[in-house]
Amino acid sequence: MPTLIHRAEYGQYDFGPEHPFAPGRLAVLLDLIRCLGHSVAPVAAPAATREEILSVHDEALVAMVEALDHGDTRPEAERYGLDTADNPVFPGMDLAARWLVGGTLHGARLLLAGTETRVLQLGGGLHHAQKDRAAGFCLYNDLAVAIQAFLDQGWRVAYLDIDLHHGDGVQNLFYGHDRVLTISLHETGHYLYPGTGHIQELGAGPARGLSVNVPFEPFTEGEGYLEAFEEVVPRALEQFAPHVLVIQAGADAHFADPLGDLGLTTQTFQTLYRRILELAAEHAKGRTLFTLGGGYEPQVVARVWAILYFTLMELPLPTDLPEEWLGRWQHLLGPEVGRTLHDQVPAFPEIPGRGERTRRNRDVVARLLDSLLRYWL
Amino acid sequence: MLVKEIMRKPVTVASVGTTLGEADQLLHSRGFRHLPVVDQGKLVGILTDRDIRFATSSLFHTPLHEGDLVTLAMSAHPLTADPLDPVEDAARIMRENKIGCLPVLDGGELVGILTGMDLLDALMTLTGVNQPSSRLEVTLRDQPGELARLTAFLGARHINIHSILTYPTPDSTVRTVLRVGSNQIRHLADDLRAAEFTVLWPLPMSSHLNPAGPR
Ligand SMILES: [Zn+2]
Repeated sequence: MPTLIHRAEYGQYDFGPEHPFAPGRLAVLLDLIRCLGHSVAPVAAPAATREEILSVHDEALVAMVEALDHGDTRPEAERYGLDTADNPVFPGMDLAARWLVGGTLHGARLLLAGTETRVLQLGGGLHHAQKDRAAGFCLYNDLAVAIQAFLDQGWRVAYLDIDLHHGDGVQNLFYGHDRVLTISLHETGHYLYPGTGHIQELGAGPARGLSVNVPFEPFTEGEGYLEAFEEVVPRALEQFAPHVLVIQAGADAHFADPLGDLGLTTQTFQTLYRRILELAAEHAKGRTLFTLGGGYEPQVVARVWAILYFTLMELPLPTDLPEEWLGRWQHLLGPEVGRTLHDQVPAFPEIPGRGERTRRNRDVVARLLDSLLRYWL
Repeated sequence: MLVKEIMRKPVTVASVGTTLGEADQLLHSRGFRHLPVVDQGKLVGILTDRDIRFATSSLFHTPLHEGDLVTLAMSAHPLTADPLDPVEDAARIMRENKIGCLPVLDGGELVGILTGMDLLDALMTLTGVNQPSSRLEVTLRDQPGELARLTAFLGARHINIHSILTYPTPDSTVRTVLRVGSNQIRHLADDLRAAEFTVLWPLPMSSHLNPAGPR
């Protein structure tokens, strides 16, 4: 039985009522799983220590977070990506972020100890945090701290990022590391935050060919997404032969997410999760550490991540949404939620220009593979 | 942005007594392609790795050898820049003359060197792509105060602007491309539209993918 990691303190990671990265998303999700008849019994992990944060971050960043947390005024905060529209200051933010990092790190330790092969951390996935700055709602990079823990034990780590946005923080932190493969599938950075994740970002020095980016045209739908996934991800994992797969399972690539323009449906996500588990079985002895990530429409993330939960637990997927849950969260769910766990088919009217998008996406994948095959041999 | 902000310094140089073999090794070991040649501290020429290849090849009228002096293969009297020149002027000079570098002189003294690569770095800085950012495209009316209205709007929302590029369009509007340090520009764009800005990207929340919204 896969291990779930979560604790109520994750709710302290809260940038305020106007901010999209709302902790309420997790409460809605947990309640949905419970109302669908599964008593969630998550493991409560300890907060990461300052030293553990420093395994990937600069001391100056941590010191700045701590100072702002205590209410100090620091004009240079913006240089650290703090006190900005994306990362406003809130009291208790240092510990709140360390709870999330601690959960992901605990997942890594369970895998390292061999007590577990499949872990779902219901939180975390703060993939934008950089070595020396917070960014894009992310204070500390829980994924990178977990990856570093694997590396310290000599493991090879494949990182797979299916968030709408490029996983720039994780990529940059291990850009020259030959025991970390990073793969990020995302909407193209030509327009969307953080502006990176282009196919030419291939890794540096001994890690050349170990940074893999699959950028999609805006309005790319599930079919095109899965096609590119199949072209790139299995080959990358096969040649790298990791000990473990770390997956940032952001849900913001869903079509109804307000932040982006990709067109994935709940059905796409289910297919994706199943494929990731198959690939992990094939190439990493089934070892997976899943985290959550972006996803800004409560009714979407609750359904998408409930499907993640049921898929990882290998439970049959319920069809209908429970009345009790719909009633309780009506104010957050809005009128779009529907009656079923899955999206309707078709989920949205046909988007013009599909042929051109498909052509461009295929072109990008071909150029990416052309570059990668030079290093993979 | 001025040349002195993006030029490389200190400059690695060859003297008039340096041989082609020595210069070649110097370029190789440092990973450079351009080498200023000085005579008692004064710039007298530029030697490139290509100059060395060509002058020592059998295609040259009288092929040189590694023991020959750099002065036989260099370009004498190179074009130069001043530290206070704007980078766009330096770029134009390099482009129009099809040259890959400009030595930078201050009062006759060689104080830096500017290459095509440095100009690409400057372009990245000017466009803001070297920082985590989102791209926002707005069409402004070609009249006073429009840009100020836009930046004030962003300032009030605590959005940091990494760069602004503007260029005129054929229909007498001003296309404005901003790179802003925020992940939340979809909401921002909707607010801008509500304030009667014409936003080209991102598209409205209610566009293609949200069947619930007005179509
Ligand atoms: Zn995201």
